Amino acid sequence: MDFEWDDEQSAFRETIRDFITRNVPADWEEIAGHGPGSEELTHKSRLFCAALAEQDLLFPHWPVELGGKGADPWHQQILAEEMWGAGEPRGAQYMNVNWIGPTLVRYGSEAQKERYLPPIVNGNAIWCQGFSEPGAGSDLASLRTSAVLEDGTYRINGQKIWTSYAGLADTCFLLVRTGPDRKSGISILLVPMDTPGITVREIPSIIGEGDIHEMFFDDVVVPAGARLGEEGQAWEIIDYSLRNERLGIPRYHLARKTLDRAVATLGKHGAFGEEAVQIEAARAASLCEAARSAIYAIISRRAHGEAVGPEAAAARFATVMAERAVAEFIVEHLPGSLGSAEPYLKMHHQRGIVAGIASGAAEIQLNLVASSVLNLPREPR
Amino acid sequence: MDFELTPDHVTLLDALEGLVKPFTTAPIGEVPFALGNEELEAALVEGGFLEIAREPEFGLVGAMLVVERVAQLPFAVEAANSAFVGPLLGEGVARPVCVAEADRLWQPIRFLRDGATLVILDNQGGASTLTPATGTVSADPESLFAYPMGLVSADEAARALPAPHLDGRDLRMRANLALASEATGLLRAALQSTIEHVSERKQFGRPLATFQALRHRLAEIHVRTDSLYWMTLRAAGLGDPGEAALAALHAQESARIAVYDFHQMLGAMGMTLEHPLHFWTYRLKALTGEYGGRGRQAMTAARLLWPEACAV
Ligand SMILES: Cc1cc2nc3c(=O)[nH]c(=O)nc-3n(C[C@H](O)[C@H](O)[C@H](O)COP(=O)(O)OP(=O)(O)OC[C@H]3O[C@@H](n4cnc5c(N)ncnc54)[C@H](O)[C@@H]3O)c2cc1C
Repeated sequence: MDFEWDDEQSAFRETIRDFITRNVPADWEEIAGHGPGSEELTHKSRLFCAALAEQDLLFPHWPVELGGKGADPWHQQILAEEMWGAGEPRGAQYMNVNWIGPTLVRYGSEAQKERYLPPIVNGNAIWCQGFSEPGAGSDLASLRTSAVLEDGTYRINGQKIWTSYAGLADTCFLLVRTGPDRKSGISILLVPMDTPGITVREIPSIIGEGDIHEMFFDDVVVPAGARLGEEGQAWEIIDYSLRNERLGIPRYHLARKTLDRAVATLGKHGAFGEEAVQIEAARAASLCEAARSAIYAIISRRAHGEAVGPEAAAARFATVMAERAVAEFIVEHLPGSLGSAEPYLKMHHQRGIVAGIASGAAEIQLNLVASSVLNLPREPR
Repeated sequence: MDFELTPDHVTLLDALEGLVKPFTTAPIGEVPFALGNEELEAALVEGGFLEIAREPEFGLVGAMLVVERVAQLPFAVEAANSAFVGPLLGEGVARPVCVAEADRLWQPIRFLRDGATLVILDNQGGASTLTPATGTVSADPESLFAYPMGLVSADEAARALPAPHLDGRDLRMRANLALASEATGLLRAALQSTIEHVSERKQFGRPLATFQALRHRLAEIHVRTDSLYWMTLRAAGLGDPGEAALAALHAQESARIAVYDFHQMLGAMGMTLEHPLHFWTYRLKALTGEYGGRGRQAMTAARLLWPEACAV
């Protein structure tokens, strides 16, 4: 047991911080404020990730046989904290290094690996994740976009929605229905976004430019070789690939940094002397540190070789509480920062607002805790 | 960074488990609100469990583990302040150890009685101590709080001696850790008790626990309890006053939210003295008012976290 970072971990964090400072432009916070999928951020992310790759910092947590350094889960978390805390200069490419790359390595055909891995490891590949549909959000297994196999090709028809980064993505990691069974009727296709028949429409949002989209698939034809794994294997594959994603983005870290900045701004204006303000700030800080502690406890288990279990859902909900408290504090006490006064605080607000929705709603996390951690008798179906 | 308990911690918890085993259920029948247990208390003292923080390999983390486990029992024994604050007061300090803020001495104090050790925290970072003389503390047997509560006379309180050798910052940190550790154990026990009830009790032809309105609140209380456990352990391990204040704040916030729900979900059963729930909830209620309650706790934390911004 040790609640301090060791010298090596601290040095690693310093290296990452240093790298970020040297490799983002001076007006970075302004750029990050345009949104995680904006054209400007995406463009910069290609340069940033290529530079990260050159320094061997793009995927240090990958196993050595995949070209990584086999760094432990703490290093992955430190990397994620520093990146997210800086407005995620990796843009969409954080997904590549966290799960798309490792999934391709494990399940991809030789041809798929040859085609898709080099741009990922070179830091120059934008992917989007085509899971959600208008009729399939929390109930993802009800998805209907269909792919019919005929003469060695799949013909895809249907619609996806809320797809991040779709406007600028090179490739889509697409879930399609190839059979009637709820879960084992779903397959994965790796679809180049310039394939004829795909229409992408941006959905203007609070989060910023270029973040969420609708995607329409009208008789889109891809070769059968575009399928990842077997037909019907999608659920098993995403269960494996997203296993270590269950803790989610280290939102508590940006939330706490944002809170500290907000307090400093209030202090500068002599506006933090009031007890009512101090109380709310401390409440938000306590929720940030509670979430951090719950998440570190799970990472610690991972570092000892244990798989991430349903406790991750509890940690995710703790993170949602932290995000909410920080956002509410800022709305109430620094309303100007939702305008142009402080881009960093605004960026936090725009990204934090989705904490309880994207990649599994807060209530879904609570359902998981109730059923799989507290083992309450199941709800009737 | 490593949150895993060491083999020493596991051995400690195993030994403690053996000790508390005979004390895990409350006696049936009419029992006082403040249900103590001298046998349990003696066993904890004899086994050295309340001195665990003095052992370098255990320190405050050891105290956290002991206090959290003991708090899950239906019996109220003063373990928290003895384990956390006791080591600062020298060998052979008279128990129970009680801690209160100087401006709150006119309120009853948990476990206070004649001959106890009372540590008084002032708001300048200093402290004084008092061992109330015979006849100067009045017990309040009518109290609903499931702790023995004692009120010290104003004259006696005025006799407290300044204790310049005690570091007020360290004292407050330990008192906060004691509070957070105890609250964690109480929350865990009350949650478990509530889960058992709603999983068995059927209405509308199904267990109450199958209704999402209850499931989500129980899950949220679990999220609070589990994060509080790790946060308190981390604050204890770091020995950081700011983190300890945040843990105490999270404890008081969570206790306030949870106790209402616990009683709600037990319906009328939770009102009875036959069911043990009140032992934990009315201790949690007492803790929500400790050291001035959430508001003051939050201000303490804010001043530790952001001294510069607070100064203006
Ligand atoms: C910024 C952002 C980016 C996203 N990026 C992507 C992406 O790249 N790719 C992709 O595929 N998807 C993406 N999503 C979609 C995301 O996965 C879904 O929003 C999410 O799964 C919830 O689905 P939904 O929005 O349809 O909400 P719904 O399923 O309609 O649910 C709405 C609300 O109802 C409640 N609810 C739902 N089910 C239950 C239940 N069982 N019990 C109790 N309450 C319930 C919850 O409060 C929930 O928030 C993104 C979403 C956001 C906000």
